[in-house]
Amino acid sequence: MKGPWTRSISTRLTMMNMLVSGAALLLACLAFFAYDQITFRKGLVHTLSAQAQIIASNSVSAVLFNDQQTAANTLSSLKDSSDVASAGIFTVDDHPFAQYTRPGESPIFTLPALGENQIEGHRFSARHVLLVRKILSEGKVIGFVYILADLHEIDERLARYALIAVFVLLVSLLFALLVSSAFRKSVSQPIVNLAETARRVSRDKDYSIRVANVGERDEVSVLIESFNEMLRDIQQRDAALQQAHNELEDRVSERTRELLSANRELEAFSYSVSHDLRGPLDALNGFTYLLMQQHGDKLSAGGRELIEHIRTAGKRMTELIEDLLNLSRVSTSAMHLEKVDLSQIARSIAEELSHSHPERKVEFVISNTEKAQGDVRLLRIVLENLLRNAWKYTSGHKESRIEFGSEREKGRTVYFVRDDGAGFDPRSVARLFQPFQRLHSKEEFPGNGIGLATVQRIVRRHGGETWAVGAVEKGATFYFTLGPSAGQPRG
Amino acid sequence: MNTAVRCLHSGRKSSAALMFRASRPRNVIACISLLFPFVLLAPGCFGQEAHPTEFQVESAYLYNFGKFVKWPAGRASPSDPLQICVLGQDPFGATLDSTVAGEKIDGRAVIVRRLSTMENPSPCGILFISSSEADRLDAVLAIAQRSESLTVSDIPRFAERGGTIGFVIQQGRIRFEVNRAAAAQSHLILSSELLKVACRIINKTPQGSER
Repeated sequence: MKGPWTRSISTRLTMMNMLVSGAALLLACLAFFAYDQITFRKGLVHTLSAQAQIIASNSVSAVLFNDQQTAANTLSSLKDSSDVASAGIFTVDDHPFAQYTRPGESPIFTLPALGENQIEGHRFSARHVLLVRKILSEGKVIGFVYILADLHEIDERLARYALIAVFVLLVSLLFALLVSSAFRKSVSQPIVNLAETARRVSRDKDYSIRVANVGERDEVSVLIESFNEMLRDIQQRDAALQQAHNELEDRVSERTRELLSANRELEAFSYSVSHDLRGPLDALNGFTYLLMQQHGDKLSAGGRELIEHIRTAGKRMTELIEDLLNLSRVSTSAMHLEKVDLSQIARSIAEELSHSHPERKVEFVISNTEKAQGDVRLLRIVLENLLRNAWKYTSGHKESRIEFGSEREKGRTVYFVRDDGAGFDPRSVARLFQPFQRLHSKEEFPGNGIGLATVQRIVRRHGGETWAVGAVEKGATFYFTLGPSAGQPRG
Repeated sequence: MNTAVRCLHSGRKSSAALMFRASRPRNVIACISLLFPFVLLAPGCFGQEAHPTEFQVESAYLYNFGKFVKWPAGRASPSDPLQICVLGQDPFGATLDSTVAGEKIDGRAVIVRRLSTMENPSPCGILFISSSEADRLDAVLAIAQRSESLTVSDIPRFAERGGTIGFVIQQGRIRFEVNRAAAAQSHLILSSELLKVACRIINKTPQGSER
C-alpha cells in the first residue's frame, strides 16, 4: 500500500518538472526556429538580391553589345554560391541571353514567372526561391536577371536545429530529473512521511506518534506542525476524557455504594421500626380486647364504642405494619427462580375469594397461560394483590367479571388482570403504583395503598414492567411482564 | 537588333507599368508619353525584328558607346546635347535618327549630325567615320583626337590605324575592337564594361601616324 502513493507524489513532481522544462524548451526551440527561418529567408533574399544586382550591372554592356559570352562569364561567378541552382539573363523580349546552371541542373529557356504582373522581386516555392531583377541602362530596362536558389540549406538547418533541440531537451530533462530527485528529499519526502504517519495514526488509533519535522520552513512544515499539534490536542483530550470517565465511574460506584448502604440502612430501619412497633401494638390490641371482655359490661355504651374505635384503629395499624414488612421483604428477600404456572395460582386465589364472600356474584375467567420463570412466592403476592384489588373494586357492582390471561405483544408475554369495576381516572395513572397513594377514599374502598407498589417492586425484580389502562366506572386492566427472558415461550 | 530590343522593351515596360501601377495616374501618364514615339515606329520594328541589319546594329552600338565613355570635364556643359556625327557617306539613314530619338546619355540629349567634311575643331562627342573617308583617315583622326571625339568606324583595321573603336564582323556577328592608347590620347576614359565586351583591345598607336 505504501508503494503506489509514495511513488506517485515524487513521480508527479518529477514529471511536472520535466514537462514544464520540456514544454518551455520546445516552445523556445519552435520560436527560435521560426525566427531563424524568417531571418534566414530574409538573409537569403538579401544575398541573392545583391548578387543579382551585381550581375545586372555587370552585364549591361554585354546585353547592349550582344555579347553572350561575357554575360555567361559574369553569371559563372555564381558557381561559388553552392545553393544557386541556376541563373540567367533574358533579354527584355524574354529571349534567353545567357545562362548558368550548377552541374546536374537543367537550363531554363523561359523566364520563370514570379506572379501575375510582377516583373521584379522574389518568390518562395517548396524547394526553391526565385529572384528576378531588371537590367537597367540609362533608366531603361534592357533585360532581366533571374537566380533560382534551392532551399536545401533550410532543410539542413531544420535538421540541425531538431538535432540540437533533441539534444538540449534530453540534457535538460536529465537535469530536471536530477533536480527533482535532489528536491525530492526536501519537498516530497516530508509529505510522504506525513501521509505514512497519518495512515498509521488512523489505523492504530495511536495518537502519541509525531511526524518528524526536519524540512525547511514551508507549507509542508506548517502542515506537519499543525498535524502534530492536532495529534497533541487529540491526545490531551483523550486523556482528559479518560480521566473524566474514570472519575465519573469512581464517583458513580461510590455513590452506588453509598446509596446501597443507605438503602439497606433505611430498609433495616423501617423493618426494625415496623417490627418493634408490632410489640406495643399487640399489647395495645390485646389489652383493649381484655378490657372489652372483662370490663365491657361496666362501661357505658359510649365507652364501649370508644374502645371499639381504638380496636379498629389498632387492627388497621397492624395491617399497615404487616404490609410495610411485606414491602420490605419483597425488596430484600432472596429470589428462587423456577417455572411457575400463574393460571393455577390465579385459580386458587379466585377460589379463596369466592369462598370468603359467597354472597357476591363474581365470574372469574382464567385462561391457561404459559409458564413463567420466577419466584413462586413473590409471583403469588403479585396475583393476590391484583386479584384482590379487582375483587375489591368490583364490590360496588351486583354482578361482575374478573379475568386473568396473557397475550403476545412485541415478542414478549404480557399478563393481565381485567375487571369491570370502579376503574380509575386515566389522568392519575402515574400515581397508581406509588406507595401510599390512593385514588379512592378509604370510606369507598378500604386499603392502605401499598398493594400495587408491592406488585411493581416484585415485577421489577423479575426484570419486567407494569402498567394499567382504565376509566372511571368502566373497569381497569393491569398488565405486567416478567422480563425479557421470563416471558419467552418455552418448549 | 537594338531597335527591336528597345521596341519590345518599351512595349513590355508600358504594359507592365500600366497594369502594375494603374493606381498611380502620374506614372501612367509618364508611361504613355514615354510609349508614344515607339508606337509610331512599331510597324517598322516588328518588320525588322527577326533579322536586324548590320547598320541597325551598328547605329544602336554607336549610341550605346556613349554610355561607356567619359569625356574630359569642361569640354561641354551638361546642358549641351551630345552630338553623334556621321562623317562622309551615311550608311545608317533614318535608322540612327530613330535610335537616338528621345534618348539621353548622362542627362544629355542626343542629336545626330551629318558632316560632309571634317570640321576643325570637331564639336562631335562621337564621330562615325564612314568608309568613304578611308583615304583621309589619318587627317580626320588627328583632328578628332585634338577635339577629344570618340572615333568609331567600320573601316577595316580602324583601331589598329589609330581609331578608338572599330567595328569588325566575327562569325557573322558584329563586334568591335578598342584602342585604349587612342582613347587615352583623346583624353577619353573608356569604362571597363566596354572593354569587357570588346573583342580585341589594342594598347598602342601606329608608328609614324600623324598627330
